Amino acid sequence: MAPESRGIAGATRYVAANGLVALIQRNPSAPTVSVRGEVQVGAVHETASQNGLAAFTGAALIRGAGERTFQQIVAETEERGCSVNAGGGLHTTGFAGKALVEDLPLILAILADMLARPTFPPHEVEKLRGQFLTALRESEQETSTQAWRAARALLYPSEHPYSRLTSGTIETVQALMREDLLRFHQLYHPAATTVAIVGDVEPEAVIATLESSLGAWPPVGPPPGLDLPPVPPLNAALRRDVPMSGKIQSDVVWAVHGLRRTDPDYYPAMMANMILGRLGIGGRLGENVREEQGMAYYCYSNLDADVGAGPWSAVAGVNPANVERAIEALLHEVARFVAEGPTEQEVSDARDYLTGSLVLSLETNDGIAAALLAIERFGLGLDFIERYPAIIGAVSGDQIANAARRYLSTERYVLAVAGPPAENS
Amino acid sequence: MSTPVQAHTLSNGLLVLTREVHSAPVTTSWIWYRVGSRNEPSGETGISHWVEHMLFKGTPSMPRGELDRLIARNGGVFNGFTWIDYTAYYETLPADRIELGLRIESDRMVNSLFDPAEVESERTVIISELEGYANYPETWLDEAVKAMAFTVHPYHHPVIGYKSDLLAITRDELYAYYHTFYTPNNAVLVLVGDFATDTLLQQVEQYFGPLPRGPALPAVRAVEPEPQGERRVTIRRPGPAQYVQIAYLAPDCRSPDFAPLAVLDAVLSGARSLSFMGGGAQTNRSARIYKALVETELAAAAWSTYAPTRDPFLFELSATVREGRDAATVEAALLTEIEKIQQDGVSPEELARVLKQVRAQIAYNNESVTDQALQIGMWEMLDSYRRVETLPQELAAVTAEDVRRVAQTYLTERRRVVGHFIPTEEQDDGA
Repeated sequence: MAPESRGIAGATRYVAANGLVALIQRNPSAPTVSVRGEVQVGAVHETASQNGLAAFTGAALIRGAGERTFQQIVAETEERGCSVNAGGGLHTTGFAGKALVEDLPLILAILADMLARPTFPPHEVEKLRGQFLTALRESEQETSTQAWRAARALLYPSEHPYSRLTSGTIETVQALMREDLLRFHQLYHPAATTVAIVGDVEPEAVIATLESSLGAWPPVGPPPGLDLPPVPPLNAALRRDVPMSGKIQSDVVWAVHGLRRTDPDYYPAMMANMILGRLGIGGRLGENVREEQGMAYYCYSNLDADVGAGPWSAVAGVNPANVERAIEALLHEVARFVAEGPTEQEVSDARDYLTGSLVLSLETNDGIAAALLAIERFGLGLDFIERYPAIIGAVSGDQIANAARRYLSTERYVLAVAGPPAENS
Repeated sequence: MSTPVQAHTLSNGLLVLTREVHSAPVTTSWIWYRVGSRNEPSGETGISHWVEHMLFKGTPSMPRGELDRLIARNGGVFNGFTWIDYTAYYETLPADRIELGLRIESDRMVNSLFDPAEVESERTVIISELEGYANYPETWLDEAVKAMAFTVHPYHHPVIGYKSDLLAITRDELYAYYHTFYTPNNAVLVLVGDFATDTLLQQVEQYFGPLPRGPALPAVRAVEPEPQGERRVTIRRPGPAQYVQIAYLAPDCRSPDFAPLAVLDAVLSGARSLSFMGGGAQTNRSARIYKALVETELAAAAWSTYAPTRDPFLFELSATVREGRDAATVEAALLTEIEKIQQDGVSPEELARVLKQVRAQIAYNNESVTDQALQIGMWEMLDSYRRVETLPQELAAVTAEDVRRVAQTYLTERRRVVGHFIPTEEQDDGA
């Protein structure tokens, strides 16, 4: 075992009286510290008519917290070369800080205020809304945004939060009130919060600092649960084209329903995804669409396995004239993978990559903190990194082929294309 | 804070820069070539970047696909990129596998195939890359501003090249360009990580030592003349917002005025992370431009940029205009921030803050061997790797008066290009 792996296994896991979980890892290689955390509250807890509320609330946390204004927070942190940030995502609201080690108490105090005592000053909420609306107008005119919006709407029923984008829409963000942010913030709960702290720190001293910051966040009521609506299976190939004038390139998104991170099929499916569309320059998909046919600068697949079953998708950016050829190539590779499964060589390559690259992902404080958060979120145990090579080594080619057959399909899928309108010539 | 860089030169002229870092069992190997879009003749724009792509397309001993597979099998990551002044390739690997990086880079420095079928397939991949960039309104504005800012120097054209050149460049032109610039005496190998220098240098000698020295390189002769007045350009296309970009011709990184201009940039926008791979602290929200443009709700985003370059390049101001505001107002607000510094200079507190931010960003950057090697190699391409170590002192020596002087000298009306992007009406809302 590499020293890092033992390092993670030896991380300190501390549960505060309010239920907050802290994971602390000493890494003396630089005089820096990274804080990364998440509250298990996100866009999955918002309604369709308030789409964007989790993102807006998360981004507003820094706009005033405790005794400090936004201007005081950024002035006080930035003059020391530190930073703090927060943002709302699909399942969680993330927060992060970076500091030279002597400034850790400052950023923990500010992050605790942001989570427990945000003030949402009305003029700051309006300022932020203006920035959100401009960013939304920009992303609404991106082909990838439009293709993904269409693909998610086809893949999930409208009552399911996965059917939308977390950014919200211009209409929903315009309609959000400050009271909505205050109410949504009530869902944040210390017992639904994990924080990872990694750097040149002594765990005992960090715990003492936490006691007076995040550990002092009073719990109100029970932590929020999550009840995702059922997802009816796809029974046909569904397609939606989104014409966008003024664009040069089209984005193609193909997707099926994937699986949860805690599903027993997770490791075989994850390795199937590596082989189909990630290893090297985009796995088999990249080999066909980019390397063999020269049609796209990017073509790859993604398995979004989280608390719920997110999309298992493949994407490509292609010239409008090549859209149909690219779709054919994507479907051809999916069909071939489902029919034949992986080769022995592919399985062994994927295994070697996943186990060999562990040390790379654990090089920096941010990397270690991200690993610790994932371990806590999915209940993997602090010895997960030590067990990981054996977990990956135990996945067989047959299991990978079975996972591919169970989830991938060339008859039941969704397809979305956003780009320049088709030419009639 | 970090161990010193050691320099070694092989008999064929290859410069090898090493830094031992034993904090994690990881080593990175970078090879840098002194070639970028700056070296491209008219009619061959984009050729440096295309050559970079061809170096992933195989050699006789390592067919296409083998390189990616070997790196993946060894648990590594790799990439390559082309910029105006340089082209670089790296592999970051578990430390006991770093020999693979040496094998790959020594092989493809001289043995890349440039197979005609692969050249044709990559032509359309690169055009696809260009078309992807063209989906963004900022690309159109940026290319127009740079084209106007440089009338003589090849910084005029984008790194990706012009589509007409990408359609016309031949396999033989690519191969000739490769042979001209990919030689040990035009390259720098940077190794940072968990190794014993003496042992690793023996392997470097084994892989790179036999490569033949190449001929002297064609010089870039063009010198951009002193601009003779403000130039303005307005791009009108479908788009979601108005954008403003102001570009002043500014000194290269070897000028004594580089450090004062870098401090000026940081006073305006915070001291940025040194790595394009991210990982630093965000420091712009307490700086002058954010306060004057974003806090006042004129812009949704606004920033300055000033990067070290080989030849004089640009000091730039950019903003995304907020709904209900207009480009002219935002332009005026950006220029007011420059005028304030020209008249009143900067405060001692601002200088102290910039220095603290720079020191913190260096510390964050040093967590990763890949990021360290990036800094060492980039500075050696532009001037000398020693700048990595001297830069903090250079910045610390800058006075408030220096900052005011360079703002007065370089950020003038006659040295600037002002670009606006104004959306046309026919944009489909995509719904």
